[in-house]
Amino acid sequence: MSKKRISNFILQKIRGKEGDIPPVLRTIPIFEGLGFNDLKKIELIVHKRTFMPNEIIFYERQPGAGMYIIKKGLIKLTKTVNEERVKISELKDGEFFGEMSLLDEYPRSAEATAVEKTEALGIFRPDLFDLIESNPKLGYKILLKLSKRLASRLRETTEMKLKEIG
Amino acid sequence: METTDFKKTWKTFEIIALIFILLSILLILYFVRELLTPFIIAFVIVFFLNPIVDYMEGEGINRTLAVVTLIILSVFVLLIIWKLIWPTLQGEVNNFKDNAPVYIDRIQVGLNRTIDLLEKNISFIPKGTLEKALQQKINGFTSGMGDVGSLIKIVKALMTALIIIPFVVFFLLKDGRKIKKMLIAYVPNKYFETFLVLFHKIDQQISNYIRGQLIDSFIVGLLAIIGLYLSGVKYSFLIGAVLGIVNIIPFIGPLAGLVFGTLLILIDTGSTVHLIKFIGVFLCIRMLDDIIVSPLALSRSVHVHTLMVIIVIMLGGFLHGILGMLLAVPLYCSIKVTFQILYKGFIEYGNW
Repeated sequence: MSKKRISNFILQKIRGKEGDIPPVLRTIPIFEGLGFNDLKKIELIVHKRTFMPNEIIFYERQPGAGMYIIKKGLIKLTKTVNEERVKISELKDGEFFGEMSLLDEYPRSAEATAVEKTEALGIFRPDLFDLIESNPKLGYKILLKLSKRLASRLRETTEMKLKEIG
Repeated sequence: METTDFKKTWKTFEIIALIFILLSILLILYFVRELLTPFIIAFVIVFFLNPIVDYMEGEGINRTLAVVTLIILSVFVLLIIWKLIWPTLQGEVNNFKDNAPVYIDRIQVGLNRTIDLLEKNISFIPKGTLEKALQQKINGFTSGMGDVGSLIKIVKALMTALIIIPFVVFFLLKDGRKIKKMLIAYVPNKYFETFLVLFHKIDQQISNYIRGQLIDSFIVGLLAIIGLYLSGVKYSFLIGAVLGIVNIIPFIGPLAGLVFGTLLILIDTGSTVHLIKFIGVFLCIRMLDDIIVSPLALSRSVHVHTLMVIIVIMLGGFLHGILGMLLAVPLYCSIKVTFQILYKGFIEYGNW
């Protein structure tokens, strides 16, 4: 056995196995660039949920509690416009939705429904706030990423509005 | 139309079933309440220590190591406090025990005088009835003090508690989050978000309240001991410690402490100077507690009306003694928060 393999083996014994959640988290912009130990801490607050076809994940106007990352499956987002349900988008493996609810309890702007059997990872505000409070360094990194995402969304909306006017 | 009717009936059935399950759990807990005491004590300790473990973990220390270190450190601190306070407290307790027969005699003489007065003035009480009843009560009290059977019972309960409490504390501190996550995993998707928020709010309510009350009581106890010792009141450590402990229960606790201190001083020396000193110190501490200590220690708890606090504390005491009194307010707050959240979900969003 080479020295590297031995050191890797020892390191794995100390840190524990990576499992299947950290690789999914790494692809999400909010958790991008976080180290193994940080991802392990986030893994503790991740809830694995399975939704059956046509099962509603959350309703429109329901107070939001957190975000979902699709591990495997298909989700559709719909919205009521003039008393009719309109499909906004469809999300598949690796995509996420509801991240704004990590910040406040504002009512959900759309309804999320599973199109097929879907495995999702849920991260919720109360758990995240606890994590931020007990791990301020990690909390700062997450909040910074979340703020950047908000800023870019705001920029997109402003540009869209400007185009509409001009 | 029929499907909507069926859905409505099914929903009502679901709600009734949920209430039935909750009531059954409460009923079971009520019947096994004797066994619950060590677990409740362990939970109280966990609520107190958990933020410290979280902080240590945040600083990069492994959680298990943090829990072990904290438990060892807590035992060490308790031993130091014990070593510092115990000799004086033991002296006072022994002194109290030695003087107990004299005190009982004095109480008896006082009570007899009152009974004579009552029987003379109230004509319909036959002479001797009250005196007889009192004598029986006092005999029962003095013989009960040395009961070997009850002593064995206490020792047995203490030993069980000493084994159970550290184990429960260790595992709840180490794996509390995993246990919580495991429990909540069984909640159906439909109610998951509401339950998670609710669970978190209840947890916060109880832990903030218990932590606040324990810190508040510790400070009050310490201030009382210092105040009484400096003003030269006899049994300063004993009365101060009692004032601190009973302070855990709002309103009724301090009142019980005042009655205890007053009676002890009156039957010991009967000195008015000591009594005035004690009441003076008591009032100063109450003012300090109400204005500074309590608002700081309980700043994160929910506001509950004074009358409601007294009612729920009495109910708690009726169901589970002193521990029931301690947990009554946070449990009431939890029920209040539960109804608030469910009502919001039901009325405002109509998703239940």
